[in-house]
Amino acid sequence: MILLTFRDLVYRKTRFIVVTVLGAVVFALLFVMTGLVNQFNLEPADTVEQFGAEQWVLPEGVSAPFTSVSVMPAAALDAVDAATKSPVVITRSSVAQGDGEMPEEVVLVGFESGGLGGPQVVEGRAPQAAGEVALDRTLDIDVGTDITVAGEPFTVVGSTDATTVLAGIPFAYVGLPEAQMLAFTSTEVISSVLVSGELGPLPDGLASLSSDDVVDQTLQPLEGAIASIDLVRALLWIVAAIIVGAVVYLSALDRQRDFAVLKAVGTPNSSLLGSLALQAVLIALGAVALAAIIQIFLAPRFPLPVTVPARAFWQLPLLAVVMALAAGAIGMRKVLRSDPSQAFSGAA
Amino acid sequence: MTIGPLAVSDLVVEFIHDGYAIRPLDGLSFGAESGELVVLLGPSGCGKTTLLSCLGGILTPTSGSIRMGDLDVTKMKGKHLDAYRRNDIGFVFQAFNLIPSLTARENIAVPLTLTGHGRKESFARADELLEQVGLGDRGGHLPSKLSGGQMQRVAVARGLGHNPPLLLADEPTANLDHIQAEAIIRLLQSLRDDGRMIVVSTHDSRLVPIADRIVHMVPPDQHEERPTHDVSFAAGESIFEQGDNAQLIYVIKSGEVDVIRILADGGEEPLNQLGPDQYFGELGPFLGFPRSASVRAKSDVVLTAYSSRVFREKVLHKH
Repeated sequence: MILLTFRDLVYRKTRFIVVTVLGAVVFALLFVMTGLVNQFNLEPADTVEQFGAEQWVLPEGVSAPFTSVSVMPAAALDAVDAATKSPVVITRSSVAQGDGEMPEEVVLVGFESGGLGGPQVVEGRAPQAAGEVALDRTLDIDVGTDITVAGEPFTVVGSTDATTVLAGIPFAYVGLPEAQMLAFTSTEVISSVLVSGELGPLPDGLASLSSDDVVDQTLQPLEGAIASIDLVRALLWIVAAIIVGAVVYLSALDRQRDFAVLKAVGTPNSSLLGSLALQAVLIALGAVALAAIIQIFLAPRFPLPVTVPARAFWQLPLLAVVMALAAGAIGMRKVLRSDPSQAFSGAA
Repeated sequence: MTIGPLAVSDLVVEFIHDGYAIRPLDGLSFGAESGELVVLLGPSGCGKTTLLSCLGGILTPTSGSIRMGDLDVTKMKGKHLDAYRRNDIGFVFQAFNLIPSLTARENIAVPLTLTGHGRKESFARADELLEQVGLGDRGGHLPSKLSGGQMQRVAVARGLGHNPPLLLADEPTANLDHIQAEAIIRLLQSLRDDGRMIVVSTHDSRLVPIADRIVHMVPPDQHEERPTHDVSFAAGESIFEQGDNAQLIYVIKSGEVDVIRILADGGEEPLNQLGPDQYFGELGPFLGFPRSASVRAKSDVVLTAYSSRVFREKVLHKH
């Protein structure tokens, strides 16, 4: 059966190569889409984790710090009963390099030096003085570069990694007073209080969210996008199934007389079906293997960060095999129905 | 290797085609012994391939029986039939039907491996058979690199893979020139000498001299020289029925006839009405086919019946 299958693959190699490449392009897109959704899910968790807080105290009615405007008096910090607590400012802002450059949207985070919420820099250092800023590395601005934040001059002193939300909006970290002035033109206002450890009862008007709640709430605006990508993924699976199914069906049609002859000489259906099924599986696996290589080059070209999860590299081939067998079922039915008396018909 | 005598009794195969029934085999009976070369002789469309399909367990006849020694082939079903085809029958097809992606050697070995033989054993058998059919040096060639005669010899070798006691060959010389055909005929002779029964369908008369038994699928034209005579039929009487052996051609002297096609459900489809000086029933005797329609007297009729030779000379040329 294996020899019969391989020989046929070689005999019709042009067709199988074309189909494998087509399938590989579809599977590569599936890898990238899977990586995109995975990145959407990972992004808020990674970012929120870097704040080092277990609880976020916010004004009552505010859904989450990154998805709605949160404003509370700085004096509220004293009313929060916790051993480790830090005020933080979180607001939307923009950064620009030099004159004439288009400003880029950022999430401005104002933190208290030595407190919770400070940046975990991967290059340079955290801001320590006025006029210093640490930026997420996706902004691609080198340490030492002079920029403006909300129109005010700053110098980049550090870079952070995996500090983005809402599908790639990068963070800019500055000292708390500067963030307060940029966001509220007052040092009497903050956005939230970060708490680590036990949190006592909160006064009226304040509520707390766990880090997991913050992650969930941050993901919420992306649910529509994720659902759309999932739909595209489902459509790509259908396209892949059509490609594999069509080639298996064509193969069954081309080999109808071969199968009739083999049936006539007593070959059981299971062997013939096995040959066709093996062909479908080999095409699918070949396409997935090629797709795994293509996605390495394709993913960086995407405007959004793509993180293909390790599990995708075994789940996708497994699903592809199941899909190939299902898609090849029509071709296999053709084999089951092929009439051995066809072997007698017609001339060479 | 022998399987016992072959006994075909009153075999009928009926197909429904475009709404009417066709009987390529209608009450065929014959027998043969192991070690005989049986030639099924007849023109295209006379049921030779249908008979081979029945003998090979590929087609179930409408009625009648085929016995191979103790085996009643017509009563076999499912796995028993598969086993019969796998173990007792070798096929050689008119169109060679070699698998184009496999080499000559693999074309012989792969069907063996697919039917449960070991890989090593199958390839050794393939080498042995290729030597036997004189293609020992061509085992690595794809069918596209072989001549028609070489392909047919590979097909014969494939048919012999599991050393079957009965080899069925469908028009094995049909696609070959006379040199290649001779090689195949010699090969079939030598295989018969091994004690194997070989049934060959053909319209190639070159096979007749080497046959131990000839089965005429269309009865020999024993009425060719039957004298021309007049015959009368009363209104409503049948002159001949669809599926009858065709022997005579009729010219209407007086009266009228209806030409009718009998449908599969027993219904009738009127095809034509013929009157004086018109003729009918000529194609069957000319081509050796059974009657394709029934003819009945519409009124009392008087017909002149001719053999096909006389009809061609005296009537057709005159028209």
